[in-house]
Amino acid sequence: MEVCGSSIPAGKVGGDFFEFITQNEKAVFAAIGDVMGKGFRAAYLMETIRQQMLREMYQLLRPIEVVKRLNRIGGNELRRHGAFVTLFIICCDAETGCMKCVNAGHHPPILLTGGEVKVLKSRGVALGLLDDYVGSGEEEIYLSSGDALVMYTDGLVEACGPGDERYGLERLKKIVSIQQNFSAEKLRNCILADLEKFTFGYSQRDDITLVVVKAL
Amino acid sequence: MEIRLQQKDGVAIIKVLGELDYSNVEELQFEIQRCKEKVIEIDLQELQFMDSSGSGMLLNQARKLHEQGRILRIVRIPDHIKEGLEIIGFFKVLEVLESKSNSRE
Repeated sequence: MEVCGSSIPAGKVGGDFFEFITQNEKAVFAAIGDVMGKGFRAAYLMETIRQQMLREMYQLLRPIEVVKRLNRIGGNELRRHGAFVTLFIICCDAETGCMKCVNAGHHPPILLTGGEVKVLKSRGVALGLLDDYVGSGEEEIYLSSGDALVMYTDGLVEACGPGDERYGLERLKKIVSIQQNFSAEKLRNCILADLEKFTFGYSQRDDITLVVVKAL
Repeated sequence: MEIRLQQKDGVAIIKVLGELDYSNVEELQFEIQRCKEKVIEIDLQELQFMDSSGSGMLLNQARKLHEQGRILRIVRIPDHIKEGLEIIGFFKVLEVLESKSNSRE
């Protein structure tokens, strides 16, 4: 499996983040998140939640448990600041190839499989908004060789160019669908190049973060 | 952002026009907190953009008003804004607050 990501901050310090970890060579976790707001507070909360998330990931194998515990522990801190975090976590079992996905208020990722592009179904409430995490549960997918998962923050699909039109999910799906034989890094670079073409280099109001997971 | 205030049948109506983001979210929060009515309606029909600071502030105000036995209604949400709110679970949170109010009554 190949994973790569990148984050382009907008003018002010923001709260986007992504993370990859392996757990005893049994599993690979990948996560992408976005903390509400901008500036120092968003950056502080992002780091707090990111550290808590990593601690949970090293202890737990199921992403649903990570999200539930994170909402309980980190949720208190978020509620204290009147903030929330959107988060999407995947955990891939190295032996079976089964990928478990959980969504806490994040834009659902795009799956490129067998030449088709699909949007994952997993949904849920962002962390910090309710005392207990509420969502559709764990979604299981199996990646075959060549399949790719594209995770992104709202800044990507809401990016604007000189006109009023936004980059949008349809354009993202289209660019992903035509990059089938590319590596994770090349797929990421193609998406960012297409975004640059669309925005004409206009500065964006929100951070743009992109993570690509590719099955070899 | 422009804010227009109105009162109709004992309900405070706050119309929000333009763009609501982290740079001006406190202005709207201030107007909501100034209202004394039991029901406050936020009309978003002419809102063009709202970032996560806007949705977070509205949910915080809805929670605070709920604790006081009051109601924050968010109405006429443009489709492109509604889509983003659905993704974060905004309406699920309002539903939970409403069900708590109903069970209290």
